[in-house]
Amino acid sequence: MKPTKNEDALVDVIDVLLRDGVVLRADVIVSVAEIPLVGVKLTAVVAGMETMTDYGLFEEWDTTRRARAVERRQYGHRDRESLEREPSAEADE
Amino acid sequence: MTDGGRRDARAETPTFEEGRYVYCLVSLEGTDGTSLETEGVEGEPVRVVDAGDVGAVVHDCEEIYDSADLERIRRWLVRHQRVVDDAGDAFGTPLPFQFDTVFRGDDAAVHAWLERERETLEAALSSLAGHWEYRVEVVRTDPVDESTLVRADADLTDLRGRIEDAPEGAAFLLEKRYERRLDEVRARRRGDRADRLRDRLADHAREVHELERTRPQSVGELSAAADDGAETVCRLTLLAHEAAEAAIGGVLDEVAEEDGLEVRFTGPWPPYTFAPSFGEGATGRDGGPEPTTGTDAR
Repeated sequence: MKPTKNEDALVDVIDVLLRDGVVLRADVIVSVAEIPLVGVKLTAVVAGMETMTDYGLFEEWDTTRRARAVERRQYGHRDRESLEREPSAEADE
Repeated sequence: MTDGGRRDARAETPTFEEGRYVYCLVSLEGTDGTSLETEGVEGEPVRVVDAGDVGAVVHDCEEIYDSADLERIRRWLVRHQRVVDDAGDAFGTPLPFQFDTVFRGDDAAVHAWLERERETLEAALSSLAGHWEYRVEVVRTDPVDESTLVRADADLTDLRGRIEDAPEGAAFLLEKRYERRLDEVRARRRGDRADRLRDRLADHAREVHELERTRPQSVGELSAAADDGAETVCRLTLLAHEAAEAAIGGVLDEVAEEDGLEVRFTGPWPPYTFAPSFGEGATGRDGGPEPTTGTDAR
């Protein structure tokens, strides 16, 4: 069989775009460069904006936290009570 | 959460006057020119900023892509993916960036970063050259017959026999045990099937990772078909050379021939899951495989 790459298949990687791909660590800005990077956390929108607020918005938002947020979103059905979810941000059920 | 909290969060979204949204990095080695015909997120014109043999596929932006409108986010994500795809078609395997990565500054800032990280970036690009990410999902559409499972498992056979002979109360408890054991047996069979497939695919792939069996619910699912109750046996992601695609397809054909199994094979995708992290102390992300190229700048 040959791999497919149609619209349906794209659904498969949409999450990946939020979670994976080259990650530039926030510390690269501090320790290496004058190049400030605005690493944006759209994942947080999906996870619920409050998550972002919990983490002190963007300053402290490193990849680990981002990943955790995604994890929470991903497994939200298991520990729903631990995360007040934004109703419109969820498509499950 | 309160609306007030959300407004606060919005208000503190980072702002910048000039920025470059980065889709991916590409190798310009052996290519002539840096032109790329594609349309970016929100219809922005896409360009390639180059430094030697490394190019960054970017568009000019003045604000972050942030929205509470999921359908809009989904369109952005799809567009992001299309640009990375087009870049891959034009320049070979790209190093895809996470959605919404924005450099503060102008082309010179991007150029300076490329120059500084050049060695690392070139190594990462050349290591991934010709390799793509493929995704495999095996679904059992037709559950294994319960009687088959009972015959194959001594515990289940035993429990079944005891339930028939037991008084009502005891039978109820035994029934519970039986159900639990049945779940275990099914899970073990799934695991064994997944392990066998993994081993076989590993012969043709540079890396194989097992993903969570349940697909994460997200913006991507907005238009996805409803689950029909089929049982996912496993979900795998592979980093493989494009030349191995046919061999992988062959392995999957054999799986698809098994009764009650269906295989979904997608790709080739840019190696999102296998992209390295850059920056001091960068390591693999939680919940994902470690970066594969060993090119993290440490």
